[in-house]
Amino acid sequence: MPWPVNRRLIGRSHRRLDGPDKATGRAKYAFDVKRPRMIFAKILRSPHAHATIRSIDTAAAEKMPGFRALHIIKKAGADVFFAGDEILAIAADTEEKLDDCLRAVRIEFTVLPHYVKESESLRSPTNTAGGAGATNIVGVGDLATDNFAEVAFNGAAATHQGDYGIAVISHQCLESHGLVAEWDDKLQNLTVWASTQAVPATAERLRVVFGLQPGRVRCITNYMGGGFGSKFGPDIQGETAAHLARTARMPVKLMLDRAEEVTVGGIRPSAYGNVYIGAAPSGQIKFYKVDCYGTGGTSRGQTVNFGLLPYVYGPGIPNIKRKHRVVRTNIQISRAMRAPGHPQNAILTELAIDDLAAKLDKNPMEMRLINLPPNDSADAAANPRTFPGMRATIYRREIEIIRRMCNWDQNWHRPGAGQGTIRTGLGMALHTWGGGGNGPNPTRVTINANGTVLAQSSSQDLGTAQRTVTAIIVAEILGLQPSEIMVDIGDSSFGPSTGSGGSTTCPGTSASTLKAAETARDAFLMALAGRLNTQPAMLSIEPGVIVNRANNNQRIPFRQACGMLGVPSVQGNADWPTVPDRAQNAALREEWQTRLTNLGVGGVQVAEVKVDTETGVVRCSRFWAVQDCGMIINKLACESQVAGGVIMGINYALYEECIYDRATGRQVNPDMEFYKLGGIQDMPNIYVHMMDMPERGVIGIGEPPTIGTAAAVGNAVFNALGVRVPYAPYTPERVLAALANRR
Amino acid sequence: MNEQETPNTEPSRREFVIAAGTAAASTSVLGLAVLDAPAAEVQGGAAVPAVGPGGVQVAFTVNGQKVQVTVEPRVTLLDALRNYLDVTGCKRVCDRGTCGACTVMIDGKVIYACTMLAVEAQGKQIRTAESLIANEQLDRVPAAFVNADAQQCGFCTPGFVVAMKAVFEGNANPTPAQVEKGLQGNICRCGTYEQMRDAIYALCNQKRGK
Repeated sequence: MPWPVNRRLIGRSHRRLDGPDKATGRAKYAFDVKRPRMIFAKILRSPHAHATIRSIDTAAAEKMPGFRALHIIKKAGADVFFAGDEILAIAADTEEKLDDCLRAVRIEFTVLPHYVKESESLRSPTNTAGGAGATNIVGVGDLATDNFAEVAFNGAAATHQGDYGIAVISHQCLESHGLVAEWDDKLQNLTVWASTQAVPATAERLRVVFGLQPGRVRCITNYMGGGFGSKFGPDIQGETAAHLARTARMPVKLMLDRAEEVTVGGIRPSAYGNVYIGAAPSGQIKFYKVDCYGTGGTSRGQTVNFGLLPYVYGPGIPNIKRKHRVVRTNIQISRAMRAPGHPQNAILTELAIDDLAAKLDKNPMEMRLINLPPNDSADAAANPRTFPGMRATIYRREIEIIRRMCNWDQNWHRPGAGQGTIRTGLGMALHTWGGGGNGPNPTRVTINANGTVLAQSSSQDLGTAQRTVTAIIVAEILGLQPSEIMVDIGDSSFGPSTGSGGSTTCPGTSASTLKAAETARDAFLMALAGRLNTQPAMLSIEPGVIVNRANNNQRIPFRQACGMLGVPSVQGNADWPTVPDRAQNAALREEWQTRLTNLGVGGVQVAEVKVDTETGVVRCSRFWAVQDCGMIINKLACESQVAGGVIMGINYALYEECIYDRATGRQVNPDMEFYKLGGIQDMPNIYVHMMDMPERGVIGIGEPPTIGTAAAVGNAVFNALGVRVPYAPYTPERVLAALANRR
Repeated sequence: MNEQETPNTEPSRREFVIAAGTAAASTSVLGLAVLDAPAAEVQGGAAVPAVGPGGVQVAFTVNGQKVQVTVEPRVTLLDALRNYLDVTGCKRVCDRGTCGACTVMIDGKVIYACTMLAVEAQGKQIRTAESLIANEQLDRVPAAFVNADAQQCGFCTPGFVVAMKAVFEGNANPTPAQVEKGLQGNICRCGTYEQMRDAIYALCNQKRGK
């Protein structure tokens, strides 16, 4: 195994190194950056969901006190396709003067028809969202297994047909999108402090936009306040800030305000579907048929993961028919959000399975055990560590663990079997995700003569304790403590790195960090051996000391050994292999992608809810999560990620929805008081169990724990009431309506 | 659709109210107040001294340090702290009194700094999260957050820390439920509440029954 066999630090719990800075406000985010002579910018946006810009008059604005620069984004004659679409931006001395300037702009529009509701847009005879196409419907997927109509329904003892769905939600990053842009005097070098999930990609995009030579744009992201998939480049607002900074020749800060953040900072697409599902008397699912649609605003991408419908159980279901329509609407484009398509897939699969289980009078846990996707035997033979070859085994273990944790056998009852006004229910869901790492992620580890150790990479910390992950690995190899490692990340001048999307950062960076630390260690021991007149093989590292076997096992404290180096520092550099020779490349890839890191996780979650049948209020009262993620680096941060994913999923199930006004096409809750997110008293105790599988290598954990949560809550509501609430969020109104329908 | 605004006329009571309203209530939709939000006419006059619309000198104490700043009356305390005084532990997130990211203590009481105008803070004692570390000595409240890993992206954390600190300053021996209640006015998007509960139980010297 390429990871150390005896791990002193890896896999244990460590406090995050930057915790004190974050907790006391010393950590500087892009939103907090203040540069000398810095001015402020803001974008003026369309109030109409669909319109043609007839005229723009900025003359009065440009005469306002404090005005510094103007940047036109869309000219007169151009169309806007959602309320919030960018038109122009102004920079001014203060945010207050800026508001005055923007208020003085006059824009005339010719208002055009729009749709903001999926069901209405689905029936639209015209295209209101722009681009190619006669209507708003695109990206139709329509697939079926062989002879579906003839063979699917044979031997089905019970069938169920039902409607399920979940609404458009917003990322609601607490630090909004944006950056501070600063040019040098000759306008040849640009530095930005950006809130981004992709530091080098942000710098590169700006370099291309401004036609600059390589190395002329630097992006710095010391801290960033949440991204969840929505922050992969400078975006229009970042490019706009750089334009304005160049025109004004002053540093410009452009961070979206809350209304902008919610209206243009990203959405997760909706998904609504009719599912028809049937099983044999044993509970074995014989067929799954879904006709679904959803909107990602003006985007054309899938709103579910079409290829993975039905979710998780697909490989074991013989007959599948699926249809998906993407319904464009006049709202912002969708952005990747924490497992794109997967939470929607879970809703369209897990809920139907519980309804079918009820018809068969089967326990949903038993139903899932019967229908687990089988281990892929070919895959298992080729590589015993990959997920498809071991998925049924992993799920079975996870279900056994969670069954004991939540005392399922005792606490589960038949749907609606409870008594009284407040009904309790249990529901479960499974999920899966990739989470594999990749390069480039060059990492440098420097051991200095003064005893300090520095690790550098351009990667970023989204709140995942990335600095601490790096420090744990370096400290493990050098026999130090994580707090003794200085970590510099979030600076594009350190070279390329992969964007933090798809749960890839921990595997992508930890593999190269390990190699860089080992290379630095070898260089260190080589240099030290020279000074001690011995061979490197005679030296070994133990916690805090170098042991010299050539001299009676002399124990030299690490810092003292650094002082003996005779050079200012030694370095180790490492990156993912990009070897042209294919055979060698395959061997290296095997080491990096199936031993150092790997791909594919499962995970099982159970929700307990209490539903007030008089008010319709659903409260998630307890929650259990069992999660595998290969080799755990920092157990504490891993558990935090899982609990955080669960909370995001509970919000998704019970509270969140972007609500649009049909008449004006505007979002009516682009805020935090009517766009609901739960507080601490709204959230249950969450019981997390991590399955450490170090033999699989490191696998990312960002998306998996939020995927099945909403579906588990939905099933718990069904279990409590004995009646299905079809659409999330499961608001009091919808719960009462479902109860009324039954009566 | 726009209210015509003329910037250089005599300051009237009405304009002052509009300006203050702009700051406190912020924009309605999309910053679209910029394009079409009608300004509400306010009738009647209380005995409030009119200041502005130009810069006004305000003096208060931030984390034990006396500061003076010249801001327009429409500037919130939050923006005065962040944009004019570079005190950025209080974060601007919702900017309308919902999320708690800008929570500070004023004369010992917790408030959302986005809901108060800077001119209202004249002479007051303001404490932010930055006051909870001195000479690398971390106060026990942020230390509990760090120990329990009760933070991820960290953008909401200083607000939570101040809110929790205020609970303990008002009640030396609160129950965990009382501390939780003191945090209900704050929102965390990464979902660190479970770890916050660990921090709360540690600070209340109670074992968490899980």
